[in-house]
Amino acid sequence: MNTMTVLIADDDPVIRKLFEKRLKNAGYEVTVAVDGSDAARLLDAMTFDVVITDLVMPGAIGGIELLKIAKEKSAGIEVIVITAHSSVDTAVNAMKKGAVDYLEKPVNFDELFLRLDKIAEVKAMLKNAGDLREAMDVTESSAAQTIQDLEIINSKQQVLLDRLEAILGDSRRDEYTRIEQALHLLEYR
Amino acid sequence: MLKITLEEIKLITKYIYEISGIYLDESKKYLLETRLNAIAEEHGCATYQDFFNKTKMDATKSIERKIIDAISTNETLFFRDTGPFQLLQHKIFPELIDARSSKMPSLKTNLKIWSAASSTGQELYSVAIVLQELLGDLSKYSIKLLGTDISDAAVAQASSGKFNKFEIERGLARDKLNKYFTPAGQTWKINDQTRAMVNFRKFNLMHPFTGLGKFDVVLCRNVAIYFTLEDRKKLFNKIAEVLEPDGFLIIGSTESLTGICPRFIPKRHLRSIFYQLK
Repeated sequence: MNTMTVLIADDDPVIRKLFEKRLKNAGYEVTVAVDGSDAARLLDAMTFDVVITDLVMPGAIGGIELLKIAKEKSAGIEVIVITAHSSVDTAVNAMKKGAVDYLEKPVNFDELFLRLDKIAEVKAMLKNAGDLREAMDVTESSAAQTIQDLEIINSKQQVLLDRLEAILGDSRRDEYTRIEQALHLLEYR
Repeated sequence: MLKITLEEIKLITKYIYEISGIYLDESKKYLLETRLNAIAEEHGCATYQDFFNKTKMDATKSIERKIIDAISTNETLFFRDTGPFQLLQHKIFPELIDARSSKMPSLKTNLKIWSAASSTGQELYSVAIVLQELLGDLSKYSIKLLGTDISDAAVAQASSGKFNKFEIERGLARDKLNKYFTPAGQTWKINDQTRAMVNFRKFNLMHPFTGLGKFDVVLCRNVAIYFTLEDRKKLFNKIAEVLEPDGFLIIGSTESLTGICPRFIPKRHLRSIFYQLK
């Protein structure tokens, strides 16, 4: 089952429609944006697992800018860029900037679904690792609290023991006085 | 995967102890196999005895370094346990700065901090971030942050200041990430100002601490757990020697110095413990 949320950003209404239909049929939760600015607004309002964006879009926010915005919002959002064959260099540049993958037009959907499966797999593993770590953190912090309590108690007992030793070992006083002082200390510690 | 015999385990754990102080017993068979298998195969060894012989004969000590890198890799995070960093920010640094700056108001306030097992640097960079958050303008201070680790690979990564997204996502809040790091491809790089505050170098905690100088704060978290009781005693005694009389020691949150070093006294602040000399 595909439960990931996907944001599609493309200024071409035909491609947009195609993506929406294919991804919805495959079970993904799909939101579409008509350009980069629209996508940026949606990124601000909602959370997505994956952003699929055209590299070249009209307006102030192109694919690279959108990638930057998405990554700043959360490093966990994976971005796939769609590019024309002629701009593969730019797509490679996008990957250097943090895109997880790129696809050339016309998009091969089998290929896209494979990439999305891989992303879902990694996300599931990360979540699993995160859950385990959280369990470890809880165990660790509860152990830490116990150990720290014992550490403080032990330290206080050690101070008391040192003082008792000093009193009982004080040869300047007679034994009776020493014992009396020691008992007094124990009583009023 | 190459199987290890009981004899070989004895041979190799003894060797690892000699080169690193890390004490592993027979129960760590799985750890040895998973961490050393790749190195043994890379050097074309058919058995661990063969691997041991090759390592001993290797005058360049490159296999030895690989073994240390493989065995000493441990979990480290930015702001791992928030406790110690809150302790530093709200208790230790304010107290130290009060104590250090009142003496000579005309001079820069000196602070020396040592992360004794700095791994890939997250802890020390976290301390550098805490200092910047607390002090803002650092021009009135002379702050030296030293990170040491036994693993060359860990020291190299710490020095590069680069972290992948998995290393960075957990523990580091978004605002701090954007403030102190810049994206560099698939990695995040610590900013130059923070990088300039820290120094990393290779150091074996089993060796004498001569030449290190004195420190106001020593962080020695989750490393002594890999040492024998005797070596732990030696380690914390040596730390006591390099700590300023009013300095602070922070150990791992599940560690204890009971029965290890009576020169330290534990003190509690909120939900954390730190140690000072008696």
